[in-house]
Amino acid sequence: MLRVAVLHPDDTDGRQLTQQLQRIGCQVQAFWPPMPTLPEGTDVVFLAVQPEISQLEFAWAKAENPPTCIAVVNYENPTIVETVLRLGAKAVLPAPVRSFGLLSALVIARTVNDEIQGHARRIRKLESKLTGVRRIAEAKGILMRTRNVTEEQAYDLIRDQAMSKRVTTEDIAAAIINANDILSMGAPRVEGAGGLN
Amino acid sequence: MARTGERNKGPIRVGVLFSETGVTSTIGRSQLQGTLLAIDEVNAAGGVGGREIVPVICDAQSNPARYALLAEHLITDQKVNVIFGCYMSSSRKAVLPVIEKWNKLLFYPTLYEGFEFSNNIIYTGAAPNQNSVQLAEFMTANFGARVYLIGSDYIYPYESNRIMGDLVLQRPDSEKLAERYVPLDAGLADFDAIMEDVRAQRPDFIFSTVVGDSTASLYRAYAQAGFDPRTMPIASLTTSEAEISQMGWDVAAGHYTSAPYFQSIDSDSNRGCLARLRQRFGSECVPNLCWEAAYFQLHMFANALRDSGDDDIAQIMPHLLGSEFDAPQGRVRIDPSNHHTCLFPRIGRAEATGQFTIVREARRPVHPDPYLVTHSLGDWTAKLHEQR
Repeated sequence: MLRVAVLHPDDTDGRQLTQQLQRIGCQVQAFWPPMPTLPEGTDVVFLAVQPEISQLEFAWAKAENPPTCIAVVNYENPTIVETVLRLGAKAVLPAPVRSFGLLSALVIARTVNDEIQGHARRIRKLESKLTGVRRIAEAKGILMRTRNVTEEQAYDLIRDQAMSKRVTTEDIAAAIINANDILSMGAPRVEGAGGLN
Repeated sequence: MARTGERNKGPIRVGVLFSETGVTSTIGRSQLQGTLLAIDEVNAAGGVGGREIVPVICDAQSNPARYALLAEHLITDQKVNVIFGCYMSSSRKAVLPVIEKWNKLLFYPTLYEGFEFSNNIIYTGAAPNQNSVQLAEFMTANFGARVYLIGSDYIYPYESNRIMGDLVLQRPDSEKLAERYVPLDAGLADFDAIMEDVRAQRPDFIFSTVVGDSTASLYRAYAQAGFDPRTMPIASLTTSEAEISQMGWDVAAGHYTSAPYFQSIDSDSNRGCLARLRQRFGSECVPNLCWEAAYFQLHMFANALRDSGDDDIAQIMPHLLGSEFDAPQGRVRIDPSNHHTCLFPRIGRAEATGQFTIVREARRPVHPDPYLVTHSLGDWTAKLHEQR
């Protein structure tokens, strides 16, 4: 069951919102004025973006895996639109709130939020993969210089070490780079493989 | 009126929803009097097709929640199809869903920050392209582009300051020095720290979006701080003759306001209207831009009703859109595409007589652009002419 926090004044719109969310099977808690932290495990936040909260900052909106935020607005001027963007809302529900349209907004916002978080995870993974590849290339270069081996032999050395120590090739590469940094302390720094040493 | 049948023979009851009490009551009462003066004039001239207009008056007490309740009451209990009313944006926003729910018609006689359109509202006050653009142009050209923004703490000042900031920052050597907000019921003391900061920062001009009774406190705080309007004036869109009468004429002298209407407009239509107002209400009413909008919008409604014979929104709207009227400010027209009004922007300098000297004036009406599609300084359609 979807856990939904409704941060909206307890007025016609707030009640309409809460009731429709309950009708479509959500577990709803309503709060106003908005508090800085959300109940544990909140999946979705409906937030009334009203002029008086346009200056507020919400820590949950900036968290690593934020809940899906849907803005409820009754002004459409740049001040409010900017606040909606700043809060990272994934959908906007115009007030006065109608029951029709809420379900679609909820589904779209959840999907967009999941996609964005999926992309973010994938980007983090790719970034660390890329760092690893760069490290291995650097470690190979170090081995090629200090051991006078070919690139292929250098890689084999790294892979064998990784297998025998049961760690990743990236870890071994990092260890080689660290060791090299320490061993070459004080020595003139030489860039690239096949240098003058 | 034969085609509209029996039910349209009696008096026409209309809702009148302003604030006669509370922080915005000075303007609210003037808007009420503008509305009632126009109703008197219509009725004195035989009504609308022989039917009298009867106002059903409610006092919203400057409270948005009360505006919504009373709008509902006017529609469901009093059975009105049309409401004339609202001042602060928060009051309009409170009434809008009620009007739309029942598919009724609201006439809104107040300048506001724009970015709205409703099929159920006719907006007769200035949109930002009819006051802010001209004021930014005038102030930056004459005083400089280092601006200090002071406003009441609600949406109209936030948005107006944003618009003014964007406009001013198009100038070279421009700077937004500060953006400060005070409560709607702010008194003199609320401006102390701000005036000290103004003294330290020395802006070229102050842009005020302070509204209601607290306007007087701002200008008094400025005067007490010993500042000189000749070198660092306050510029405003809302400081009208009404606010000036509250703060004292000498306190207001030298400061600037951008508005489509000032009492000092030199025309027969304006002088005649002011004379009839004084005859009806004595000197208790202080005419101002919102009073004038309230006055002419009622006449535009009556004229449209004369053509449609029915005040139901579906019947009367086609006759309102595109209609024109010789208002005290000049010949105004309701724009059919956005329901706002073509108006005559003016810049006035307050004098110690309580009146404004009009220093710039549009020769042609400026089309309303509520979403500020065009918003650059120097736009030729917004250019004003120097008055001598």
